[in-house]
Amino acid sequence: MADDTSAAAGTSTETGAGTESNLRTTKPGTKRLFLTVSVLISFLLGAPFLLKSTEIHRSPLPSAAISSLSDHLHSNPPSFPCHFQAIFLSPFKPSDSSLSLSVAERIRAQLSAQSCGNCNFTVSVTVDSGSSCRHEGDAASAACLWECGGGGLVDAIEGRDDQGIDELLLSAVNGRTGGCAGRVYSIFVIEGRDERVVIGKHRHAWMVLKDLDDSTSVVSMIGTVFGDYFMRGGVEKGEYIPVGSDGNVVLSFSLLNSNPSDWIYDWDFQRTGEVLLAPVLEALAPVANITMESQVLYHAPKSSISYWDEKLEAYVVNTRDLPFFVNSNEWHLDTSLSASGRSKVLQFVVYVPSASECPLYIRTPEGEMSKTNAFISPMWGGVAIWNPPGCSMQSQGIHIVRDVLPPQELEKIIEIFIGQLRLLFGLNSNYVEPSPKFKVLASEKGFTNWELDLLYRQHTCFNLLSSLSTLQSLSTLVESLPRMIVMDEIGKQVELSLEAANLAESNISLGINNASALSSIRARALAEDAFFHPSIMSISYSSMEHYFAIYMPFFAPVSLHVLLAAVKEVKRYFAERSKYLTFRASKLKSS
Amino acid sequence: MASDPMGSQLRRILSIFFSLSIILPLSSPSPTMHNNNWAVLVCTSRFWFNYRHMANTLSLYRTVKRLGIPDERIILMLADDMACNARNNYPAQVFNNENHQLNLYGDNVEVDYRGYEVTVENFLRVLTGRHEASVPRSKRLLSDEGSHILLYMTGHGGNEFLKFQDTEELQSHDLADAVKQMKEKNRFKELLIMVDTCQAATLFSQLQSPGVVTIGSSMKGENSYSHHLDPDVGVSVVDRFTFYTLAFFERLDMYSNASLNSLFTSYDPTLLMSTAYYRTDLYERPLNMVPVTNFFGSVMKTIPTDSAYPGFLVAHASEYATISAETETARVVLEDEADHSKTYDQSEKGLQHILDEWLKLLEGKLGVKDPEVLVAYGLGSMVLLLTISTWLSS
Repeated sequence: MADDTSAAAGTSTETGAGTESNLRTTKPGTKRLFLTVSVLISFLLGAPFLLKSTEIHRSPLPSAAISSLSDHLHSNPPSFPCHFQAIFLSPFKPSDSSLSLSVAERIRAQLSAQSCGNCNFTVSVTVDSGSSCRHEGDAASAACLWECGGGGLVDAIEGRDDQGIDELLLSAVNGRTGGCAGRVYSIFVIEGRDERVVIGKHRHAWMVLKDLDDSTSVVSMIGTVFGDYFMRGGVEKGEYIPVGSDGNVVLSFSLLNSNPSDWIYDWDFQRTGEVLLAPVLEALAPVANITMESQVLYHAPKSSISYWDEKLEAYVVNTRDLPFFVNSNEWHLDTSLSASGRSKVLQFVVYVPSASECPLYIRTPEGEMSKTNAFISPMWGGVAIWNPPGCSMQSQGIHIVRDVLPPQELEKIIEIFIGQLRLLFGLNSNYVEPSPKFKVLASEKGFTNWELDLLYRQHTCFNLLSSLSTLQSLSTLVESLPRMIVMDEIGKQVELSLEAANLAESNISLGINNASALSSIRARALAEDAFFHPSIMSISYSSMEHYFAIYMPFFAPVSLHVLLAAVKEVKRYFAERSKYLTFRASKLKSS
Repeated sequence: MASDPMGSQLRRILSIFFSLSIILPLSSPSPTMHNNNWAVLVCTSRFWFNYRHMANTLSLYRTVKRLGIPDERIILMLADDMACNARNNYPAQVFNNENHQLNLYGDNVEVDYRGYEVTVENFLRVLTGRHEASVPRSKRLLSDEGSHILLYMTGHGGNEFLKFQDTEELQSHDLADAVKQMKEKNRFKELLIMVDTCQAATLFSQLQSPGVVTIGSSMKGENSYSHHLDPDVGVSVVDRFTFYTLAFFERLDMYSNASLNSLFTSYDPTLLMSTAYYRTDLYERPLNMVPVTNFFGSVMKTIPTDSAYPGFLVAHASEYATISAETETARVVLEDEADHSKTYDQSEKGLQHILDEWLKLLEGKLGVKDPEVLVAYGLGSMVLLLTISTWLSS
């Protein structure tokens, strides 16, 4: 600047006094301006490239869809449409006008806590007794109403045994309620001499009553069957979900020889067990993908103490000692080959006691001998004790008995295991029948159809809520760590999980219970896979401060300098330009 | 009513049913019922002079096993370089007392993560459950919403950190974050964190998840000291906090119900030379009502099975009978087929059969059992025949 003014001073001293610092005769140079501004512009142009190159790959998660579905599920929990219909096959004149309403009221009165998977029920009553046919109440749809003309059933029922009546009524229900056969629960009321109530193994029950005019007892009986059995499975409250988060369950059957030097037992579980249990596993397929395995173990003593009881001439394990029965140090039950990381393993153990403790019995909390000699531990499995025959008369034999568990005994043990499996899934192992007039039929699948419906409902509801909460936690976690890499796989799993959850919900409203259960398992498995993906490690190296700490030491001083220089140069250029312009103006004025 | 005994009987059935259904043995859990115990025991030091940390962890391992937690529910992380260390005067033995009464490495020690696998990343993976798919079940913390977890950590620590294997650190907010993730996924019902390092109480200063009770061997600014030096082994063999913890548990067995409060108040600051600080603001049960076996022992809730499912076999009998009959007939059929195929072979491949017979005849005649030798003989005789015939024809 000093040079310019001194160079111009020579020419401008003649023209005026006092204005030499404001004038310059040459155009100001643009080289420096160009240089600094170009550096600044290159920084500005390069900034997006820098941001792009340091971008973290984050697969976008549909957080809005997740939170909306989650809110929707929490505000209106999944409600399964169930239709209860009472069909009177004998002439019936109700004393009050609306029987269906009183039945519905009765069922509602029994509903204690709103557990997950309750039915959204509708009740209808049909009187179909040959001469007249009358419907009353609401039906889910017109197709679910009982078609009239079943008057001949009463005669057909006479003289058949319970299984036969069950099958007959099944065909009647299938024939007369059209497309709703899987969603309608029916009870047939017949007037007759010997009173009984029988709940079948499909979705219907029948009642023989002497006096149909006593409407309060009729209503209460119907309400019991519908509310306590068909809707709640006969349990007060019980919700065990012993299913692994990937939808797999492994049933591990073990035969434990406590002391092989006394006797060694083997079993043919492969044939017997698989044949007997195959229908059970198939029936439970919408609830979990169940596989079975079996093993025989030796040298597996129990770790609790038993007492000799003189009266029974046997060794007794008290209920107090049962929690210490399972000797986890010696019982190597956890050698499953087929269980992957997130499956649930349920152990079913047959314990063969040694000669020093044989026969061995379990005492119930009420002080009596257990009829099954077995116990369960929820979410773990069950243990059944099998005493070898003739062991109470065993003298000190020198021969080691090597034998195979007789097939009849094995079948009895499998019956106990089925009871335990039912307990583990939250149902009763068997129905306490207070009198021979009340009966619940057993099914070869281990679970009756209405119990399976209850399980499907419970599991669907649980799986849906669990998968939505998992997805919600995942999306909050991902949002709280803006610098964490979210892989494509996770995004895909979340999408598929949401899709399955939506499908399950739509199937619920349509009433297709097993399809909704399957979709809900899938939704939960995918959600858990996404949440537990090994790449999500929230260690704090992926934080925003880290990013700044890497780049700021270089870019902060450099950009400061560049910016300041550019600003200074631009200011200087304009100042010089204005000087030149005033010079030009004064020159023009003077000339 | 009186004139209708059947109806009243039915009503009685109903009332009996309802009363029974209330008294029936409970199958009534809420999902948050305590049903198993897990232990995660971590020794974060390596090298010979940190012998006492490994002895601490192994002592606690032995204690929880004795009180009933099985190996399948214990995750043990050790550097495991003491027992077979070249400087160990007692090879393959690890002691926690100079009287050498107890060999901690004696029987059945199942280490899940050893050596260089004990890293902060693996530790956090164990806690949060985010493993690769190939990690075996024995290395995973497979707890559920009914589990009580005991987390014991020992090593060198400082203000808000814990040193892992002399190369990395676990910060208190990392631990708090992992516990928060665990709580969100319901991986535990209650968690007891026990830390035996210097300034241990700072490690859980950032915890905020409910259901966690923590105790550290010293407060901020205090050191935790070792208990005594073993002149034979040459290093300190146990830390004070762990020593007094073990002394408390030696008096207990599986059946006892000493409370957590008695454990926590048994620590004497003058003996420990530091203040054992515990934090209960996140824990809702009062400590004097919590038995120590809720964390240190094994609890198995058991329910006797009242009955089998007796109709199952009856319902199944016909099916089963037919199935077994079918399998019987199937097997019989198969055997017939096997016979058939044999005769089939015999008729079709008559030539093969004849040759077999001829071979057998030769074997019998020559008394040679080994067919290889027979074949060799045959070849040899063929060559002989050929040479003779060529010589004759020339």
